Amino acid sequence: MRKMLLAALSRVLQGPAAAGRTASRVMVASRNYGDFASEASFEIKKCDLHRLEEGPSTTAVMTREEGLHYYKTMQTIRRMELKSDQLYKQKIIRGFCHLYDGQEACCVGIEAAIKPTDHVITAYRAHGFTFTRGVPVREILAELTGRKGGCAKGKGGSMHMYTKNFYGGNGIVGAQVPLGAGIALACKYFGKNEVCLALYGDGAANQGQIFETYNMAALWKLPCIFICENNRYGMGTSVERAAASTDYYKRGYFIPGLRVDGMDILCVREAVKFAADYCRAGKGPLVMELQTYRYHGHSMSDPGISYRTREEIQEVRSKSDPITLLKDRMVNNNLASVEELKEIDVAVRKEIEEAAQFATTDPEPPLEELGNHIYFNEPPFEVRGPNQWIKYKSVC
Amino acid sequence: MNLFQSITSALDNALAKDPTAVVFGEDVAFGGVFRCTVGLRDKYGKDRVFNTPLCEQGIVGFGIGIAVAGATAIAEIQFADYIFPAFDQIVNEAAKYRYRSGDLFNCGNLTIRAPWGCVGHGALYHSQSPEAFFAHCPGIKVVIPRSPLQAKGLLLSCIEDKNPCIFFEPKILYRAAVEQVPVEPYNIPLSQAEVLQTGSDVTMVAWGTQVHVIKEVATMAQEKLGVSCEVIDLRTILPWDTETICKSVAKTGRLLISHEAPLTGGFASEISSTVQEECFLNLEAPIARVCGYDTPFPHIFEPFYIPDKWKCYDALQKMINY
Repeated sequence: MRKMLLAALSRVLQGPAAAGRTASRVMVASRNYGDFASEASFEIKKCDLHRLEEGPSTTAVMTREEGLHYYKTMQTIRRMELKSDQLYKQKIIRGFCHLYDGQEACCVGIEAAIKPTDHVITAYRAHGFTFTRGVPVREILAELTGRKGGCAKGKGGSMHMYTKNFYGGNGIVGAQVPLGAGIALACKYFGKNEVCLALYGDGAANQGQIFETYNMAALWKLPCIFICENNRYGMGTSVERAAASTDYYKRGYFIPGLRVDGMDILCVREAVKFAADYCRAGKGPLVMELQTYRYHGHSMSDPGISYRTREEIQEVRSKSDPITLLKDRMVNNNLASVEELKEIDVAVRKEIEEAAQFATTDPEPPLEELGNHIYFNEPPFEVRGPNQWIKYKSVC
Repeated sequence: MNLFQSITSALDNALAKDPTAVVFGEDVAFGGVFRCTVGLRDKYGKDRVFNTPLCEQGIVGFGIGIAVAGATAIAEIQFADYIFPAFDQIVNEAAKYRYRSGDLFNCGNLTIRAPWGCVGHGALYHSQSPEAFFAHCPGIKVVIPRSPLQAKGLLLSCIEDKNPCIFFEPKILYRAAVEQVPVEPYNIPLSQAEVLQTGSDVTMVAWGTQVHVIKEVATMAQEKLGVSCEVIDLRTILPWDTETICKSVAKTGRLLISHEAPLTGGFASEISSTVQEECFLNLEAPIARVCGYDTPFPHIFEPFYIPDKWKCYDALQKMINY
């Protein structure tokens, strides 16, 4: 209905000169939703397995609504990251900024496979997860610019974003994995059938604490899914130069593992569903490796081309871009039209612009916040500082 | 040369002079994230300058092993904030080796370098100053230079010193500080503070970047208050030069210590405590410590957090008028 009104309006505005074009536009625009298939079935790549008899299914069913939702979410994350890039170059965002574009299929696929009551913890490349776990874009951008409207009140910045059932956002590489196991223990203890997904990168996979965590999780059969987002480079070091074994899904040794194509959202979704079911059944932890890629460098200070070629980045962009993959699937299987997806693009762009506007104009947190939230304390105490005569109160 | 170039020069000299010396750490092969090791791999080969995977505990433990076996190990921790996984290795293994083996073994050939201190946009995990944690550990030496000239001499002394040393490099000065630095090797003795400017009314002590701040404060004090300040760069945090500081305080009667690390338990408390023991009757005013607040290093509040020249000047004024 809306499409027909839109078409009529465009016809009026464009005038008689564009009649031919308008006519075809009207044709397409007047296709109503009944013309699309409600769902389609896709063949997805088989996962490599370690210590598992069978893996996730090789066919995935996606409904139109799901497809549109994934598309919108991934496109929002993509645009949000590109906007952050822009704001950083304008020096409106300062500090550190680790962008997630290229890896959208991972966080959206994961979110599609788990429930909002499940728990997620990751490292610093967290903007995508912050969004999929429920924080609106404006709060994410405001946190990046350090304003009080940000999800951590502007006190955390890029690497420290949190929300319900999303534990960040952690700066020290590898440190979040034992935390994830702890969360999984709590899940098991409270008996609410929840799982915890602890994510880390290919660089972090060489940290000692991760192996300590594998041992504890396997020993106590914790419902913890360890997910290694292997984007082939740990900052500037390629995986071949950093790891004795690049089969990250086998690194848990005694823990079963899966290797998943992280650029295909349906692959990720099916694999995480499989893993979540496995853990919920009480069989213990699982290790998953998502093979993915990031287009930007490690952080905004890294051009990203000194350790890899532009051709490589271009190749991944043209052959395995997660958003393009989804788009092609949907259009080729009559789940959506190109115009419809374009409209989503326009709406996303607008949303990001508004969010950026908010993030740039929101005031910074007041100075009194400097001393707050160090401890949990009933009577506010005074924070000692350089001056005996100026003290900040720590109020909770 | 600027600071990172002087570090490269020092490492170059060390690798040239000592055939057993090796430099390793995360990303050092291509030159390091701060360009401190540029060109070393090409010059000395990939078996002497090599990358490690992402494992600080592993890096330091590995370094201790190299040192005990007799080679000179120069380990780089990418940021001082990441040194904590290696804290156990440094404090429990490296520092105590000579003591617990009755001098049979030691890891004196180990030097650990790490970028240190606030940088304007570092936020919580790229701005910390952990020297106080290590000052509490007998057996290691902790050194912090204030400029390229100092850095090269102190680093070479650390490498040659027969004790495990931690060398913190103020990252904000990597490009900002430029000086004429000799290309040949030279040493600056450890555990000796340097008096940069003599004065008669107040003693001001700092290290690393903060030295430049108090130098400015000294100039301000001279112009506006007519107060003559003695400025001292501590240089070695552990073992620190108690004699120079105490002599200075005995002369002036007032002491101001400044550092970016949080106030409680920061190294200023150790200096303060020792000085009041030695120079109690000489003190005209309570010792002022102008340090960071007792909060984690903030993201957006950094300009308010750091002990800038106004806070130091204010504290100095109050001391004069005590």
